[in-house]
Amino acid sequence: MSGKTVSIPAEATPAPKGALSQGRTPTPWELRQLESAPKSKSRASADRVICGLPIVMAALVIAQYKLAPNVGNAITTDTYTYFILFMAFLVSVKFIMSCFSKTSYEKLLAKAPLYTAGFLLFALYDYATLKSGILPLPYFPWPDRILNGIYEDRALLLDCIKNSLILLFSGYFAGVFAGLLTGLASGLSSRVRYWVMPLIQILGPIPSTTWLPIILIVASSLFGGSVFLIALGVWYPVTMTSMLGVLNIPKANFEAARTLGAGKTRLVFKVALPATMPHIFQGLTQGMSVACTALMVAEMMGVESGLGWYINWQRGWAEFAKMYGAVIVICVTFSIVNFLLSLVKRRVLRWQEVNWN
Amino acid sequence: MSGQAGHIIVKNLTKIFARSDLNATLVALENLDMEILPTEFISIVGTSGCGKSTLLRIIAGLETATFGQVFCDGEAIRDTDPRRGLVFQEHSLFPWLSVRDNIAFGLRATGKYRSSVELVDRMISIVGLQEFANSYPHQLSGGMRQRVSLVRALIVSPNVLLLDEPLGALDSFTRMNMQDELLRLWNEHRNTMILITHDVDEAIYLSQRIYIMSPRPGRIACEIPLRISYPRNRSSSEFVNVRNMILRKLDFAKEEQEDYNL
Repeated sequence: MSGKTVSIPAEATPAPKGALSQGRTPTPWELRQLESAPKSKSRASADRVICGLPIVMAALVIAQYKLAPNVGNAITTDTYTYFILFMAFLVSVKFIMSCFSKTSYEKLLAKAPLYTAGFLLFALYDYATLKSGILPLPYFPWPDRILNGIYEDRALLLDCIKNSLILLFSGYFAGVFAGLLTGLASGLSSRVRYWVMPLIQILGPIPSTTWLPIILIVASSLFGGSVFLIALGVWYPVTMTSMLGVLNIPKANFEAARTLGAGKTRLVFKVALPATMPHIFQGLTQGMSVACTALMVAEMMGVESGLGWYINWQRGWAEFAKMYGAVIVICVTFSIVNFLLSLVKRRVLRWQEVNWN
Repeated sequence: MSGQAGHIIVKNLTKIFARSDLNATLVALENLDMEILPTEFISIVGTSGCGKSTLLRIIAGLETATFGQVFCDGEAIRDTDPRRGLVFQEHSLFPWLSVRDNIAFGLRATGKYRSSVELVDRMISIVGLQEFANSYPHQLSGGMRQRVSLVRALIVSPNVLLLDEPLGALDSFTRMNMQDELLRLWNEHRNTMILITHDVDEAIYLSQRIYIMSPRPGRIACEIPLRISYPRNRSSSEFVNVRNMILRKLDFAKEEQEDYNL
């Protein structure tokens, strides 16, 4: 205390903008605004432009497709135009929403560069194939051809998606169930671990697809054999993660439950299982990618339906556009499956202290 | 029910641990004898490593005695029992359960949940956590978490409540509040309380009797009955005298045993 008075510059202490004076706390968005440095005028208008960039880029994609001369005398349709228009429409909806809601504005601002890059990739590929022929036919069909290929075969593709998903989930859930069983049991009991560990150590490092030739001979049905193949691939990561998960549960959790009167069954299902969930979900995610690989191999090698079979079949006809189409369909399908898995994970693990962004 | 239940007798208790680092064993407790009467509030004070937690865990049924026995209401203790609740130092709440479900865990485990759903709400409001009933443990402060641990153990109305340094990780303000909370809960439930602590003030503030333990091997160095009436004043001369005496005892706990009556 030197007795000196320090004057505070007026602009350093802005009055709360209504948020606190009205007897409520600010929303997370308002809080970020309160605490972050104010944007300069030029920065704010630059951000507006960035939000609009994807739409501009989409317009350029269509302009190039419609106006630039094609290589050779290629026949083109409007499927690609409609596709790009549809994508541009989705982005425009977001753009219009961003004019009214600050949260959707922030979201769009974060994603806009990615969307723009996406449209740019379309433009580049279209240029390299249809417009210049740098990437020649038949190996590199242009986007319009691929889209038409998907559209032509839509009924067959839907059927293939259905068959692939049935096989994928039959194998996946069988593997998850078996993996949880062995994983939890060997985590909880050292006697089970004694017998299961060597099995895991020997079988674990072998990719499950290695067994395919044997399964093709031995299995009475190809479907059953493929289910087994996928399940085997899923079993390993789920077993490992759930076992390690149980072994890493703090002892205090079990002890607290015991002093509260929990019996053996409750210790397994109400303590060990939920406490291991974060680990198990690692195994479930790993297992899903193993399952997708095994599915593709099984379908390409033996099973006579599904997306993997479709690709192989179209290769036989040298239908490259349809092969690419199938790759895109596979990519979209697996992305959706993984997205659903991550939704389940967020819901189940909502008790965890994790920043999901 | 808790009228005369909650009588703990420790008889000639010895606990030896195997040491994993050396091929050797370690005597944690040696020939311990103590008796705790129903509804009594006692504290066990000692430096860290004197075996006081081990003693508590044996009474809880989490560890087995090497020699000797512990009786609860005439029955030898062999396993955990919801009649003997345990409150841990920290991090023992189930992180995957909300405050409500953590508190209800004991009721569900003993099959009493359906008949006493309102009890959960009462317990939540007793410790003033109504606003946090649906929060998860990681969203609570340390003090709130310990309050949840406390009522989680109390809700199955145990005859004996074992407290293993339950306030050890709290700041001194929260700690003093929680001490009053403990006394209030004890007055309401009238169960036997066994508190492990290294905070001498806490032991004097709360308990009717204090055991001082000496380390390696863990033994009862002396026993101090306290006749100060509740609520106790931390700066009264009686309080200060007892504290000085205990601190002296802790320094020389290895030497002669003597009973002090105050």
